[in-house]
Amino acid sequence: MSDDSLIIYEEEINQIDTLISKMLKGAEAKCALLVDKDGHLITRQGFTHSLDTTALAALLAGSFASTKEIARLVGEPEFSVLFHQGKKDHIHMSLVGERSILVVIFDDRTTIGMVRLYAKETALELAKIFEKIQGQSNSSEQRDAGITGDFTAQAQNKLDDIFQD
Amino acid sequence: MVSINYSSREVCCKIVYYGPGLSGKTTNLLYVHSKVPADTRGKMISLATEADRTLYFDFLPINIGSINGFAAKFQLYTVPGQVYYNATRKLVLRGVDGVVFVADSQPDKMDENIESLSNLEENLREYGYDINELPMVIQFNKRDLPGVMTVEELNARLNTKGRPYFEASATVGNGVFDTLKLIIKMVLEKAKNSASSRPKPTVSFAPAQEPAAHHEPEPEKAPYPEPARPQPSQAAAEPVATATMPEPTPAPQPAPRPEPEPEPQPVASVEPTYRPYPGSEGGPRVSENTSVQGSSLRQAASSHTTATPVMEQRQAVENFQSAKTAPTMAPSVKRRADKEKKRGFFKRLFGIK
Repeated sequence: MSDDSLIIYEEEINQIDTLISKMLKGAEAKCALLVDKDGHLITRQGFTHSLDTTALAALLAGSFASTKEIARLVGEPEFSVLFHQGKKDHIHMSLVGERSILVVIFDDRTTIGMVRLYAKETALELAKIFEKIQGQSNSSEQRDAGITGDFTAQAQNKLDDIFQD
Repeated sequence: MVSINYSSREVCCKIVYYGPGLSGKTTNLLYVHSKVPADTRGKMISLATEADRTLYFDFLPINIGSINGFAAKFQLYTVPGQVYYNATRKLVLRGVDGVVFVADSQPDKMDENIESLSNLEENLREYGYDINELPMVIQFNKRDLPGVMTVEELNARLNTKGRPYFEASATVGNGVFDTLKLIIKMVLEKAKNSASSRPKPTVSFAPAQEPAAHHEPEPEKAPYPEPARPQPSQAAAEPVATATMPEPTPAPQPAPRPEPEPEPQPVASVEPTYRPYPGSEGGPRVSENTSVQGSSLRQAASSHTTATPVMEQRQAVENFQSAKTAPTMAPSVKRRADKEKKRGFFKRLFGIK
């Protein structure tokens, strides 16, 4: 598992986004993020403009990871759902497959039950897409187009510009 | 692991600063945060104790801008250095792409350095990483303090594998950027060598992406209402169909359910076999504002969607559960109630007031 890069293409992201926005509509939630367990944001839908989604993704993944440890300590393999209740906004997190977390942020216009129901359905669908992605990245042999030798060299130049004492 | 998103044209890497407590990991990040242009860095997040010791992690996202049309993003994390935070320290290492080991150069800290290094190796091993294959840079920090060990001594004890190293004083910033630049370079090299993909990304590449654009509130790929997307209707229709079919886990349960005799015990026996979610049996456990009970919620929800077979089955299971559980009482309560009833009968029979 350690060497598997997560590589996602437009096609899959479109499928994922469609599923998530459908869920948002059905559950009447505000927004949703799909985060991988390492803390990278995969995609987001809904009203996320006012949110620092990068930080949110890292923190949510951290929160999920620590809950997993807690689960292990009480003899559970993993808690598949996490729910944070606030005064106005609430967060529902559920596990998608092996390595992603579906985060739904909602308020009192809907209920936790609705969100849970739709999130569960969506998580199952998403898990299938991720399985497909995994299968493809395992089977393919072509080199990646995104990170090439040129990429590294260019990055190095940029770094010299940016990181100056 | 390096995350490559062809849709939003992003390459995302995770770099972890590891080392013993008070060796200067957070100081490294603070220095980077203070010196890097504001449009390059995100908000620094520190999950620290009251005394400013890292409790879980510090997090600093950096976006070095568009390279080959890809936004290169780096997420810098630190771990809590203290020995007793190993549980959380290990969690931060998940999915790491490169490690900076920040060692304290003071002689009396050598044991802690060694312990931390072996702890790193052990924690990485638990995630299936080999420390020898992971990009790693060693930083000998606190070189500005008097009486520190020489670089040769430090290398002899901590760097037996001949990894790249830097001398640094993170408080003033010496060596901080050198370390960071090298680890980023190593991570990208590794990603270049190991990344593989399908033949052709199907993205129509938009070269107009500015480096800065990624750090402003990032442009939504799909503005909220999704009509912009061409396929959804067809793509959406398809997943729904597949969504409902292969959900084998709850489906087989309803069949054996009716068999057990309708004693009060089924409450206990039904629960564990069908566990949709922890606490999903209804509102009461979760919040006061969910006035609707779980089962009726699902009914309401299922009327939203096209009533799929799975939902019907699930509803059937829940109806069955609620039908069974609602009228029954806990055995002890039932016994007491029965006794009361009997007593009432005899009282009435013998006219006792």
